[in-house]
This record gives sequence, structure tokens and C-alpha cells, in this order.
Amino acid sequence: MLLLMGSNTTEAHPIIANRMKKAVRSGLKIIVVDPRKIDMVKFSHRHLQLEVGSDIALLNGMMHVIIQERLYDEEWVRKNTDDFEKLKEKVAAYTPEFAAKITGLNPEDIVAAAREYATAENAMIAYTLGITEHHCGVNNVFDIANLALLTGHIGRKGNGIMPLRGQNNVQGAGDMGCLPNQLPGAFPLADDKYRKRFEDHWGVKLNPNAGDTQTRTFERMEKGEVKALYIIGENPLMADVHMNHTRKLLENLDLMIVQDIFLTETAEMADVVLPAKSWGEVEGTYTNTDRRVQRVRKAVDAHPHVKEDWEILCELSTLMGYEMNYENSEQIWDEIRLLAHEMYGGMTYERLDKEYSLHYPCPDLNHPGTFVLHERFYRPEGAGEKRASFIPVDYTPPVEEPDEEYPFVLTTGRRYEAYNTHTQTRYYQEGIKIKQTHETVDIHPDDAARLGLEDGEMVTVSSRRGSVRVPAKVTDKVKPGLVFMSFHWRDVPTNVLTINEYDPISGTAEFKACAVKIEKMN
Amino acid sequence: MEPTKQVKTVCGYCGTGCGLILDVKDNEIIRVRGDKDAPVNKGQTCIKGAFAYKYVHAKERLKHPLLRKNGVLTKVSWEEALNFIADRLSFFKEKWGPDSIAMFACARTTNESNYITQKFMRAVIGSNNIDGCNRT
Repeated sequence: MLLLMGSNTTEAHPIIANRMKKAVRSGLKIIVVDPRKIDMVKFSHRHLQLEVGSDIALLNGMMHVIIQERLYDEEWVRKNTDDFEKLKEKVAAYTPEFAAKITGLNPEDIVAAAREYATAENAMIAYTLGITEHHCGVNNVFDIANLALLTGHIGRKGNGIMPLRGQNNVQGAGDMGCLPNQLPGAFPLADDKYRKRFEDHWGVKLNPNAGDTQTRTFERMEKGEVKALYIIGENPLMADVHMNHTRKLLENLDLMIVQDIFLTETAEMADVVLPAKSWGEVEGTYTNTDRRVQRVRKAVDAHPHVKEDWEILCELSTLMGYEMNYENSEQIWDEIRLLAHEMYGGMTYERLDKEYSLHYPCPDLNHPGTFVLHERFYRPEGAGEKRASFIPVDYTPPVEEPDEEYPFVLTTGRRYEAYNTHTQTRYYQEGIKIKQTHETVDIHPDDAARLGLEDGEMVTVSSRRGSVRVPAKVTDKVKPGLVFMSFHWRDVPTNVLTINEYDPISGTAEFKACAVKIEKMN
Repeated sequence: MEPTKQVKTVCGYCGTGCGLILDVKDNEIIRVRGDKDAPVNKGQTCIKGAFAYKYVHAKERLKHPLLRKNGVLTKVSWEEALNFIADRLSFFKEKWGPDSIAMFACARTTNESNYITQKFMRAVIGSNNIDGCNRT
């Protein structure tokens, strides 16, 4: 059984969707939890079409049922977890009726879903940005973990929690230490012993205090405390919430450097633009969504005036008085293997070439890699009594709820053929038929009828932060009261509309919910 | 068109990590197929992975460093661009401290480039103000 939450898998992760569909043919049951009637609903045996942002109410409601009907594994919970009583207390209020009121679902469906998930022999939860892009994204993830821990559906093949990651190497970028609080190998910067390993090898003293998240950097840019911003291969002007605000912040900088393969909307604002090599022109590794490290290989020679990301940074570093010299990506990888050996020690290029992919941790050459990551939730005897803690959380509604003036909820996401800010997917091979070539605002037939809208008619969509003109697409994929847009096309910059409210822990913005109004043109 | 070489690699779009085979002729990718040996996709591809690769050879690719002069982004040499950046970043670091500088790293580039990116920020700039789209 698979609980698929906030993941439009067919469009955002098509090949993972294919594997799920194939598993359905061999008996897998899928419960889709999504405010839209996404394509995966066709392959599910139940669709919980909940209100945007009401996931915690649903999860707490399910746990309420599971605890009340004693469908959880009491022995497993006793051995592996802490704070069960706190969880029990928290979810006591979330009767199926109460959860139904918040989520807009039937209480019977919540009860049925709870029983199906809890009693399945193997059950997995997969989620995407529909879970994380909320002001309560971290709490959403905590509650998913609570559900998996309660039922013991974790730590075994066919069980567990699987965040489906959106970019080819977003996992690797964080693992490599491109996070304000983490060193390569995903160890905390604050760990003195681990940090010293890097200080010794790099020959410098490192700042032990965590730096700023992207969100915090924006706040400090507003105050004028950040003078220089160096952006590599990202288009935040188009991709981040509240675009008019983002533009002001970028204008505030004394120095903005953009390193990219195209002159993106963000690069157009930069003081210096550096041309980088792209996929197909470089050697190296990516880490995918399930911790597989795989080799990326060069197919063509880049333009002679274009340099690779690491090459540019090494030259800059040397100019600034800290010499960095590498002959190739393998030399860099070997430094990573040496310093973060607990994770990558056994993953030579030679092995990756031969074995195709290895899951980290893979500490030595004889290690086969780690397919199931979390197999134990308590410390072994003699190391204290600490177990995996439940972290009970409450439902909190989206920060900006619809009202009389802005009566619709706008939720945003991706479409099948385009990718992010469309800088690359505007270049398809000739002769490929593209179904959606421009942005639309997807609206339910009942709402369209009420507004007197025809399919394809131009409308103005406005929030408190700005407005865009876009054709309406009348479709029952969305519920009444909900509209959907992607952020792929520069002529319809959807993030003009979205709200700059963030999760206080992760700093992730609430891309999935803001209030808008829709007006006919003329 | 007969390819002159075939290169095995991994897709650069989403996080699934599909193995691909690129057919190359005259320094150009002319076809992309799913790799049957790939553990993740076993030969399958989606429309982006198989057909949205022409950006690599797009004429709009950046081919020279650009530096804003009198308000206009102007072609300059690598030497001029990198010296300008090195001078300015050193100045900011000296005058306002390392935390006046921030870096947005790239979730699309390799592990190797990401490792060097954070090494540059930590060892050269002296700041941990490094993040990326890990949060979105």
C-alpha cells in the first residue's frame, strides 16, 4: 500500500509514476491525498481530495482512528519510540468528524484510509512539494513521520517515507555541504571533531556558527546587511514567492554575480554574469532522490570560452589568495571520499562505472551500499535509552485564506513538459508535439460558469501582491474554489501572486496556498 | 544520421536519476534514449529526458563573461570578470565582514562542483551563508 501525498507524480516524476503504475498491476493499492484530481487518481483505489494545507488534520485524524481501534503495533512502539502518550493526547481531539470538517472529506473515508494504511503488511508514504511548500511544511513532515512510526511502517523494504526530490542533484547539493549548517557528508558544522577534519585538510580555521538560509538571506538583504550575492544556476527572480518583492531585494545589492548557462531573468539584473558549462559538457556525479550516487559523463565539448562551475570557483579562489587546483572532477571526488568517508569512502569512479549506482552510506570498497537507511530506531544497549520521538503537531490553516475580495485559493506546481523556469525546456527536439505551450489558470467548471468564463478566455488573476493576465482552462481537475497555475513561463510570472510567508524552521515558502480573485477582461 | 559515439550518463532534470544514452555526432547530441541497464528507469524516459536536450546547443547559450558597465551588461574577458569579482569580494569581506556575502548554490550541477562551491564560501570567504533551492 502506498500513501501518495502532495505529489503530482505523473507530471513531476514521470518514471517514478510508471513504476508505481506497474506495481498497481501487481496488486499495490494507492491512496492519493491531493486537492487536485491528478492523473495518479486513475491508478488509485481511493482519492482523498482534501482542502489545500489540511494534511495535518487528515494525518491526526488517521492516527486518532489507529490508536482508538488499537491498529498500531504496541510492541514496536514500546521498543522503538518515545512520547507516545503525548501523541495520543494530541490526536484525541482529531475525531474523524473533526478532521472531516477541516479537510472537507467524509469521516468514513478518513476511517477507511486509516485502517488500510495501518493494517497493510507493507506500507510506504511518498510525498513531494505539496507537503513541504507550506508555512507548516516541517510540521507536515513531522506528522508523516508520526504516522509511519506509530504503525511501524518504516525501516524495512517496502515501507518507509520517501520524499520525491525535484531536481537531479538537489539531494547531492545539500549532502555536499551547500547548506548553512552542514559540512560535506551531511555532518553538522557544529560538530567540533568533524569540523576539525576539514580545517586540517583545507588548512584554514572554519567559522563554527551556522550561516543564513536563503530565506534569512532575503531578510538580511532587505536590511542592507548582505552586500554581495553569488548565484549559481538558479533563477530566484522567477522561482521565488512574491516576485515584485524579490526584485526589490536583488536591486538592493551592491554586487550580484550570476553563473549560469543562459541569460535568465535573474542574470539580466546581475553586475557580473559568468558563462558555465552545462549537463552534457561535464564529468561528475549526481545523487538522486533515493541516495543513489551515479556518474554523469561528458558527451560534447563546450564552447571554448565557457568554464565549468568548479573551475571558475577555483580560479576565483586562487585570485583571492587561497590556492585551489584540481585536474579533473575525479580528484575532487576523491577529496570528498577521503573527508566524508563514512558516506562515500567506497564509491570510486571505477566502482560507479562498473556498478552503475551505489546508495550512500558506502564507507569502504567492499561495502555494497545501503539500500534501507533507517533500520533501527533505538540506541543499542549501553548507549542510553533514547528512541525515536513522536513530535505531535496541530493543524494550522494557510496564512492567507480566501475572503470576499479574494475568494479563490491559488495553488502552484509543475506541468509535464516544462521544467521550473523553462530556461531549458523551451528547446525541445524538432517535431515533438507539446500539449501545453503556455500558462493557464485551471478553474473548475462551476466557478467558470458562475464567472461566465469560456475555456481559453483571458482573465486577470490578482492577489494582494500583484496580478497577471492568463487564459482560463476549465477543468474538473481542481475543486470549486481552488485554482492552479505553474511558474514555467516568463510572460505569466505566477510568483507575482504568491505569498512571502515561510515555515519558521525550514524557511520554505507557502507556494501552495494564497488568496486570489479572478476577473474577466474588458 | 549515424552517431559517431554513444555516451552513458544520467538525466539532468528531476531527481529520479534516469540513466540515458546520448548519441553524439559532430560534437552535437543528436538523440537521447533510456538506458536499459539503468537500475532506476530500465530503459524508460519521460518527454523532458528524451527530447528537451536541445538547450545544450542553443545559440542563446552564454559564451562570454558579462560585466555591467555604465548600466549595460558588456562582454569582457575572463581575466577582467574574475579580477573584478575577486577585488570586490575581498573588499566586502574586509570592510563589512564575511557575512556580508551570501551564496545560492546549484541543485542542478554535480556533487563535485557543489563541494567546491561550499569550500569556496567556507575556506575563502569565511562564511557559512550558503544555501540553495533545497528548501523549495
